Amino acid sequence: MISNMLRFPLSMFEDDFDRWFYPQQRAEAPAARGVFPAVNVGTADKNVDVYLFAPGVDANELDVVIEKNLLSVSGERKLPEREDSEASTRLERFDGKFKRVITLPEDVDADKAEAVYQDGVLHISIAKPVEVQPRQIQVSVH
Amino acid sequence: MSEEKKVTKDMQELNKQEVKQQQMAAENEARERAEVVHLRPLTDIHESSEGVKLYLDLPGVSKDSLSIDIDKNVLTIKGEIKLDLPEKMKARYIELNSGVFERQFTLGDEIDSENIEASLKQGVLELNIPRLQQHQPRKIEIKVA
Repeated sequence: MISNMLRFPLSMFEDDFDRWFYPQQRAEAPAARGVFPAVNVGTADKNVDVYLFAPGVDANELDVVIEKNLLSVSGERKLPEREDSEASTRLERFDGKFKRVITLPEDVDADKAEAVYQDGVLHISIAKPVEVQPRQIQVSVH
Repeated sequence: MSEEKKVTKDMQELNKQEVKQQQMAAENEARERAEVVHLRPLTDIHESSEGVKLYLDLPGVSKDSLSIDIDKNVLTIKGEIKLDLPEKMKARYIELNSGVFERQFTLGDEIDSENIEASLKQGVLELNIPRLQQHQPRKIEIKVA
């Protein structure tokens, strides 16, 4: 994870969420190869949101642990077995056990976390501690 | 043609050229903006005498945002990642930096493109592409005299 962080300096993506879904540069990029699952992390006012792109995984076997500001996700992906009559002409997909440890960009309240697995994406939403959430202060007029 | 008129005409011509250049620049810009980075989904291909099986990783793609097209012998798979994103979210760390997957495969003539079966489950697309009956290989018995 740390070496990945170095390769993608955070400043490149700060305030640049559009880039994720409406990128402007051209050219075709291969989906993150060699890392499974690929991870995107975003923050909003109240939460830190982590998206793990882990298609074809048994959600019941996923293990999600938060310890201070470290989130670790481990699990296993079992690919369908190839029949004897078949030959593989291309094998690019990840097969086997995986574990990813993600340093969360802000403090979180580990007791307030939710994880949903849908369409092969594990979305973990963790609340920030109340004291760091932005608060609106009412102005009273005397 | 008087000198004055000629100058006016030259000016008009120049203006026209400038407008044309501006238009071209605007069109180029629009085209560049439209060109989204497409991610190439990781794929496994298994072949047998009956046909070809393709497995594509398309996390975040649902049935509604997936399209599978065959034009002549080119199979195009395109899917859009639809995520439930909170409002005002800031990206902090990104490994998957596009919202669209796309990949093309060229199919051989022996493929029965009418009978392709597709199923999408938890972000994995499985395609079963049968071979045409007459193209399925025959095993030839060797008689020992």
